[in-house]
Amino acid sequence: MSDAQSLSGPLAGLRVLELADEKGHFCGKLFGDLGADVVKIEPPGGEPSRRIGPFLDDIPHPERSLSFWYYNTSKRGITLNLETADGRRLFLRLAETADVILETFRPGFLASLGLDYEALRRQSSELIMCALTPFGQTGPWRDYLSSDLLHMAAGGEMASSGYDEADVPNAPPIAPGGGNAWHTACHFAYMAIVAALVYRTVAGQGQYIDAAIHEACALTTEAAIANYVYRGEVVRRQTGRHHAAGPTPRTQFRAKDGTYVCALVAGRLTPKYIGELADLLDTNGMAGDLRDPKYQDPAVIAANTSHIIDDLVANFIASLPAEEVYHAAQQRGFTWGAVRAPEALLNDPHLNDRGFWKEVAHPELGRSFVYPGEAAIYNGSPWRISRRAPLIGEHNVEIFCTELGLSRNELSVLAENRVI
Amino acid sequence: MSRPRALEKIRVVDFSWVRAGPWATRWLGAFGAEVIKIEWPENERGRLPSTTTPQNLEVNLNTSGNFNDTNVNKKSLSLNVRSAKGLEIAKRLIAVSDIVIENFSSRVLHRWGLGYQELCKIKPDIVYVSMSGYGHTGRNHHYTSFGPVAQAASGLTYLSGLPDKPPAGWGWSYMDDTGGMYGAMCALTGLYHRNMTGQGQHIDLSQMVASVPLNGPGLLDFTVNGRGSRRPGYPPGNRAHWPGTPLVNNYRGPTVVPHNAYRTHPGEYNDWCVIVCHSDEEWERLVQVMGTPSWATSPKFTTVAGRLQHQQELDEQIEAWSMTLGKYELTERCQAAGVRALPVQSAEDRVERDPQLRHREMYLEMEHPALGRRKVQNAPFKLSKTPASNHLPSPLIGQHTREIVEGLLGYSREDLRAGFADGTFWPVKRARFPYMEEMLR
Repeated sequence: MSDAQSLSGPLAGLRVLELADEKGHFCGKLFGDLGADVVKIEPPGGEPSRRIGPFLDDIPHPERSLSFWYYNTSKRGITLNLETADGRRLFLRLAETADVILETFRPGFLASLGLDYEALRRQSSELIMCALTPFGQTGPWRDYLSSDLLHMAAGGEMASSGYDEADVPNAPPIAPGGGNAWHTACHFAYMAIVAALVYRTVAGQGQYIDAAIHEACALTTEAAIANYVYRGEVVRRQTGRHHAAGPTPRTQFRAKDGTYVCALVAGRLTPKYIGELADLLDTNGMAGDLRDPKYQDPAVIAANTSHIIDDLVANFIASLPAEEVYHAAQQRGFTWGAVRAPEALLNDPHLNDRGFWKEVAHPELGRSFVYPGEAAIYNGSPWRISRRAPLIGEHNVEIFCTELGLSRNELSVLAENRVI
Repeated sequence: MSRPRALEKIRVVDFSWVRAGPWATRWLGAFGAEVIKIEWPENERGRLPSTTTPQNLEVNLNTSGNFNDTNVNKKSLSLNVRSAKGLEIAKRLIAVSDIVIENFSSRVLHRWGLGYQELCKIKPDIVYVSMSGYGHTGRNHHYTSFGPVAQAASGLTYLSGLPDKPPAGWGWSYMDDTGGMYGAMCALTGLYHRNMTGQGQHIDLSQMVASVPLNGPGLLDFTVNGRGSRRPGYPPGNRAHWPGTPLVNNYRGPTVVPHNAYRTHPGEYNDWCVIVCHSDEEWERLVQVMGTPSWATSPKFTTVAGRLQHQQELDEQIEAWSMTLGKYELTERCQAAGVRALPVQSAEDRVERDPQLRHREMYLEMEHPALGRRKVQNAPFKLSKTPASNHLPSPLIGQHTREIVEGLLGYSREDLRAGFADGTFWPVKRARFPYMEEMLR
């Protein structure tokens, strides 16, 4: 659609102040990429999450953190020291312009500065404020320290993920990587904030949201809780497939190129499926005895499940590269997938058809880089990255001078006094 | 309930099934939307097959525990949408609704005559969220996915495991949970936009595509630095860095040691604790918690560089200590001293032993007509004015058919009876549940 470029995002017109570190900056990115004016407020010198690698050309520098780049697209950035009186005064003026404030400080920190929700709502009853913290604002663990790995442990992700004893003896529970405790929490926080925004469109009132990362993670293990609540079962970890109370047939097979294929076969073995499976395996001449009429009998299938999965399917997958198996299977209606490294997605034409990869300009470097884009295509108000992450204090003049009316000289004094 | 609800007066037509779609609409229901789940017993996927029916109950359409937890806050209309009469009723329902959400393969609603253009004719400002495996756009739109396949094809599975071992992956359908999150996020965003502009839209969500942005920093390491993730030492298990491999960031945060899972007393299946030290100061505090053993004060461990170099030895020493304590006691001792540590928790641990989740009322009991009083998972956020809450147990199949057909859509009792007789509201040859007979009196 050529006019998609002229449409604004679904959250256009909304202003979000983000006071977030690595726990919450993905939530701010979601708001920014969906069209809100997100102003990231960093301490003078920059947010400590700018020190997380990897770095551009492996040269550590607060403006070269690829992690920071990724999680802070479509935001403007200012610096402000809330622990000074001038900083608090300016923050209160900014808060008056905000629809949403997202903060990830330890519980009680903003209150100690007189900047908690009770104080802020006095000047704006429509304000929505979300505190996204490891354990929420109350409870015995409220002040506990955390990290992505810690949340994956206590939330239950690790208890579900790992290896069959036969694959890796004595393996620990495994926490999947990538920072997904933060992602999970940010998804829930986003949801809660937008629900509050919808309510505000009707009722004209803001509210306070106390969101907890631990609870978000504890909610995100599919049926593990139901297995316990309804059957008293505690699930076991199994290589590359679902946790389960008892052992289950494998679903991950090594392909000819040494990578893996996820092939969901067990539980689907009907006579009709056997016929389709024979057709698929025959594309490489490997149907074996699958065309034997005996497989029209479900009892015979059941008695030969291990032969079908561990011999025929496994050998077929071992005979071809994983990508070929993936597409051959999916073209025939099989819900199988190649286990790809993330970078393999750059070559996936399906994503290109969806316009998924985005060139994001970094004018200060004179270069552009390819970023992953949107999870969904909105046909009436596009989800898109509008700009690269802000440099430290990049929008101080724009926001403090142009919007709040400070003079350049006042700004200089604030900088000299470590307020900005 | 006297508290206002965020989605008061919002009605959702929910064609979704299995897990991802129902997990999305569960949250819209928790915010107070009226979620009407359209179901048909002949091709139901979500209630059956059930592996979470209590041992003392018969497995049937109304006894899946996981279905109950996934479908609280909804009503159920049993309706054969594949019949002309059923489709007409679905259209009348859409005409008085705000959101349509489904997670079928990409062309199903279109084939039914309920594609976005048709939906707009019925309800011009409808917010339509399609949650298919690969999206409605793109050459592979007809590919199908469940969580594990989306996770594999998007690169998420590969993030999990030990170096030189097969991927450990995710022990559950993370992308059914997270795909459900995105379904709810898209519906809410579309609704906000509609309230602000009067315009509805089609939101084409793909479970597989939605997985890819969860690899952001790793993808930038490739597009910016040219470094792929098929490399020695990746993924590094629970560590920030795998010993003896190139020293690069592994996309979970800072590169620090210790950063691992350690066995705890008495060494059973889920007796593990994770410990992470983000700084030398945190390491010094851990040394004190461990009782300042002589090995720990060795100069080779006092700096992060030293700990990285001697990580294997360090981990073995920490585990020798952690094995002497239960995981909760270890957690309390560490956290009291300002050391990052938490237990690996099973579902039983979370429901029965986690003091924080208990304090925050994560699992409250609800009465279900077939399953009895059971703990159900609550929202991970507290809204001061419009709290999200579980106010209805999951519906029995077709439980609200009369309420919706007569009460909402204005059909008569005779119409309802005729619809049961001709197979619109329940398959003619299928035994009815007692509450359906009650409905027809």
